Amino acid sequence: MSSNSLSSAPDDSAVRGASHTHPAPVIPGQPDMWVLVMIEALTFSAYFVVYTVWYRFKPAMFLQSQAQLDLRLGVVNTLIMLTSSWSIARCVGETRAGRHRAALTYLWITAGAGVLFSVLKVNEWRTMAGQGFGFETNLFFSFYYFLTGMHLLHVLVGLIMLGVVFHQLTNPARRSRELVETGATFWHMVDFLWVIIFTLLYVMR
Amino acid sequence: MSSGGSTTTNISGEWILLWTMPVVWLIWLASFVAFPGFVHPMSPRMTAQEVSAFYFNPENLARIRYSMIVFNWFGVALIPMLAMIAMQIRRMAHRTPIMTYSFIGCIAGGPTLFCMADLFWLLAAFRPERDPSLVQLFNDLAWVTFTSQVPFLVAQNVFLAVAIYLDRQARPIFPAWVAHFNLLSAAAIAPAAFTALTLDGPIAWDGAVSYWLKNITIALWIVVMTVVVGRNISRQRRELEVAA
Amino acid sequence: MKGTLAWRWRHDPKLELWLAWVTIIVFYNIFGIVFFGMTRTQPPPPPWWDHARIAQWFSDHHYGLLIGFGIIFVMGAFAAVANALIAYSMRRMSVSPIFAYSYLIIYSLAAVPGMLLTCIALVVGAMRPDRDPALLGLLYDMGFLSFSGTMGIFLIGSVIWGIAILLDKNRVLPKWFGYFNVCNAWTEVVVATCCINKSGPFAWNGVIAFYINMVVFAVYTGVFITYLKKMIEREDVLQLSF
Repeated sequence: MSSNSLSSAPDDSAVRGASHTHPAPVIPGQPDMWVLVMIEALTFSAYFVVYTVWYRFKPAMFLQSQAQLDLRLGVVNTLIMLTSSWSIARCVGETRAGRHRAALTYLWITAGAGVLFSVLKVNEWRTMAGQGFGFETNLFFSFYYFLTGMHLLHVLVGLIMLGVVFHQLTNPARRSRELVETGATFWHMVDFLWVIIFTLLYVMR
Repeated sequence: MSSGGSTTTNISGEWILLWTMPVVWLIWLASFVAFPGFVHPMSPRMTAQEVSAFYFNPENLARIRYSMIVFNWFGVALIPMLAMIAMQIRRMAHRTPIMTYSFIGCIAGGPTLFCMADLFWLLAAFRPERDPSLVQLFNDLAWVTFTSQVPFLVAQNVFLAVAIYLDRQARPIFPAWVAHFNLLSAAAIAPAAFTALTLDGPIAWDGAVSYWLKNITIALWIVVMTVVVGRNISRQRRELEVAA
Repeated sequence: MKGTLAWRWRHDPKLELWLAWVTIIVFYNIFGIVFFGMTRTQPPPPPWWDHARIAQWFSDHHYGLLIGFGIIFVMGAFAAVANALIAYSMRRMSVSPIFAYSYLIIYSLAAVPGMLLTCIALVVGAMRPDRDPALLGLLYDMGFLSFSGTMGIFLIGSVIWGIAILLDKNRVLPKWFGYFNVCNAWTEVVVATCCINKSGPFAWNGVIAFYINMVVFAVYTGVFITYLKKMIEREDVLQLSF
């Protein structure tokens, strides 16, 4: 009987029993998730290329608009994302070692970081909009709202995935190391995307 | 196709779809409040200049576009819940699947027409610098589509009510009050079909009947039916767990 | 004689599935020829043209639009076979039939605002060459904005199919395609930007809102056509009760 419904892998409960001596497989989590990561990486890379091309067309306008962004807020957001990546990695570690309660704690930290990030991001948008910088203000702000908006969408889907991981971890019959690793893979991708977006939008001039 | 009181035993995943409903309601509510022409509905009596000014107003324009984009994304999110109602009709003690099919034939209509109304609003807001009479044209198209296109809603409610009345078994799938509620809802929604007849009064698209009564009825219908279907699915899950 | 078309017409138990699948291929080819070749509505002309230029475009493409879209008005609904096969794939899954029915119902009318409204607007624009250019501008906007403006249908539909695949225990379709459906849903969010921007990469003909999006959608379509074929080849001939 397969232990969870999101995995296409056979039931690995025998492996889980001895998991703290079992080495991690070469590809953690579902290989399928890595396909998604690849697709997203390609698509976002295309967006980043378009951004850099347009930056070169209108360097003055981009530079001036960039100055309107709050760099400290960007740094805070980056730190939150990096923390969440750390905590989901700890969660995976604890799951592999069979310490499920500890894993759940790290999961909560990750989710909390995700929620905090989202709240700060929405607040940042409201501040910017309040200052008169909307999506249609100029091309830089179109990119700003678009990239951060698409990223936030990924954070929200990531939170849903964390919810699925939570649902699985809380029930001994449903636990699956592979699923936790799959969720972690997605979350790491979300963090990785943010770091690049932060670098492009906030830092690189 | 089997009918006549047979239970659908596979409900895997329905609970998830059901619980998307409250999330979608919140999204719709947020968009409803965000669109500047809904909380105080725009009047059909507005002149072309006033309509143009409404769209041109920088405070309104962003809200119009974003609320309509979000409505566009989530307009058809209602359909899984409507499909669940159709599955419940299938479980009723009917000799043929006719009532189920009739119901199914209607449920794409409402959301699709709403999508079109949406599109017209987006078009009105796309180039607010357009000739005011053309902005007003798109605005009219949007409001008339949104208000008067009720045929699928009326029909699906009547089909559901009749299906419930015809469900003659010891434990009917839905209680009788659901049927009465559906007939009343259909009656409450129907007058809005005549909205283009008048530019003010209760039947006009901002009036007490065509706007407030119709939209409150629809909102109430969605919530009530979701709860009713949810109870049925919950009962089915329990029965399956007992049987397993 | 086994394997010839005549034999298959008479004896192949999967005949109806293959007929449906082949129709998808034929439909998309005709769609491509009409939209890209005859009417030149894909890739779309720019939103920033003035009325005079728009009137010129209608005039230049007069017969292409009228005949090309006439073809669509005849055979546009054959796309229903794609929805039927996709819904069928969900019926083979371990999830509730609700997923298949929801998908089918949502897409049954998808072509109306998503494709036909565009064709109607542009045909009406082409039919009277002497129409006031401001009105032609209106129809031009209606045509091209409504093509992207039906995001909700594909967004919700992709999410439904994606969830069904991810929950499925019968492995009808690979899990990564379930995730790809989520990506496809995200492209519907990307396209929303063209409702606001009228130039640059986020316009309805922009690099991001159109070209990159189209690449993702084209790959997605190619993938699902391929996997539907594999599904048909793999399946045992079972009777399903509906």
